[in-house]
Amino acid sequence: MEKPLSKLLPIRIYNEIAAVCSEDKLTEIRLRKDKPLSYACEGIYRILPDDITVSTDDIAYVLACATKSSLYAYNSSILQGYVTYEGGIRIGLSGEGVTKGDTLTAIKNINSLCIRIPHYVEIRDRRIDALIENFDNTLIVSRPGMGKTTLLRYMIKRLSDKGNNMLVLDERGELSGASQGEYSINLGNCTDIVTGIPKITAYSSQVRSMRPDIIASDEIFGEKEVDCIADCVRCGVKVLASLHTTSTQLLKKDKTYDRLLNFMRYVLIIKGIGDISAIVDLRGENA
Amino acid sequence: MLDLVFGGVLCFISTYVGITVKQYYDKRYYYLRDFREFAIALEDNLTYAKDNIATVADKYLQNNKGGFAKCLEEYSEEIKHGNKNDETTDGIFNAKYLKKGERNFIREFFRTLGTLDYDSQLSRIKLTLKESEHLLEKALKDSKTTGVTFSKLGLLIGIALMIILA
Repeated sequence: MEKPLSKLLPIRIYNEIAAVCSEDKLTEIRLRKDKPLSYACEGIYRILPDDITVSTDDIAYVLACATKSSLYAYNSSILQGYVTYEGGIRIGLSGEGVTKGDTLTAIKNINSLCIRIPHYVEIRDRRIDALIENFDNTLIVSRPGMGKTTLLRYMIKRLSDKGNNMLVLDERGELSGASQGEYSINLGNCTDIVTGIPKITAYSSQVRSMRPDIIASDEIFGEKEVDCIADCVRCGVKVLASLHTTSTQLLKKDKTYDRLLNFMRYVLIIKGIGDISAIVDLRGENA
Repeated sequence: MLDLVFGGVLCFISTYVGITVKQYYDKRYYYLRDFREFAIALEDNLTYAKDNIATVADKYLQNNKGGFAKCLEEYSEEIKHGNKNDETTDGIFNAKYLKKGERNFIREFFRTLGTLDYDSQLSRIKLTLKESEHLLEKALKDSKTTGVTFSKLGLLIGIALMIILA
């Protein structure tokens, strides 16, 4: 079966990248107009030689493939800065905004693409096994690109396989590999997935209608989402979430996110895919 | 006797030519009509479901056949295989029975289809529907006047030739 990436990229670009990094280790590809191609292999960024320059046609080709030549059909996600492709590939994009008053109505002259390739990785770590056995509210933290989403995916599936009703708020379809109603990543038999709905809306509507045991959310962002999580915990729903930060100390100093520490039990600090730096038991700390 | 048979053959040929010319005008009208119907279906879909082009085309093709439907089917297949570009689009929408201006009009529509943001795409479709209305009216008029005239002329000439030779 043809791999999604080989269909998405212009053949010359695909061949150049395939020659230097196998697809199972490739995590990101960046296409910038008139600049050399860059990519991340096992989390390390590299640049292809200067004679491989990205053209406007290359960017247009990727967008046409990703949107099935129907840019209008992806307008709402494009306005949020991304398009999701098969296999859970998320394509971030940047360009020139078109506004009507204060409202962004379109993005044109797209000149940069950030293609993120998801991987389902089995993480062999007894500490994670123990956490899954006796799960309580957990926050996964790290710098961007260090494997939070990968770990989140793994834990969702493990918890689901244990019989927990999981509700995954997957706004961009990155966790589940959602594309046109199909999910390319298996998150377990007891998992309900919500895609395309803004998380703030999904928290209130879906928690009430789907009656989950655990809610999973990637990249908590903003005070409103912290409020939603607080409400979920108050309702007795457990939470598994990720956040961009590097330590609990930084978290404590942050006025927006320090409240999370009041109702999270564990903080997982990771420094790479499957590489868990520490698991902090907040009740142990506080005791 | 031979003259009668020969006259009959000429009559048949003349009538056939007349009917073929009429069909040429009819095909042109049906093509433009079907194109307009597809554009309407696309406008409706964009307003609610916002499906991709291939999906809208497949839905349309379930209940529609004809010259335009064949072109649309080919266009949809090219999209599914990631081969949509100006060259292939022009090659697909090249019905000979359309006038050059009408062909270019349809080609331009399909070239830009799917390359615009939502609001621009919807505006483009509305504009196309407005312009296609005039084209359709003209095609219908040509079919009913010029097309019918040729078919009658073909028959009359055929009968005249038969009489002359008889």
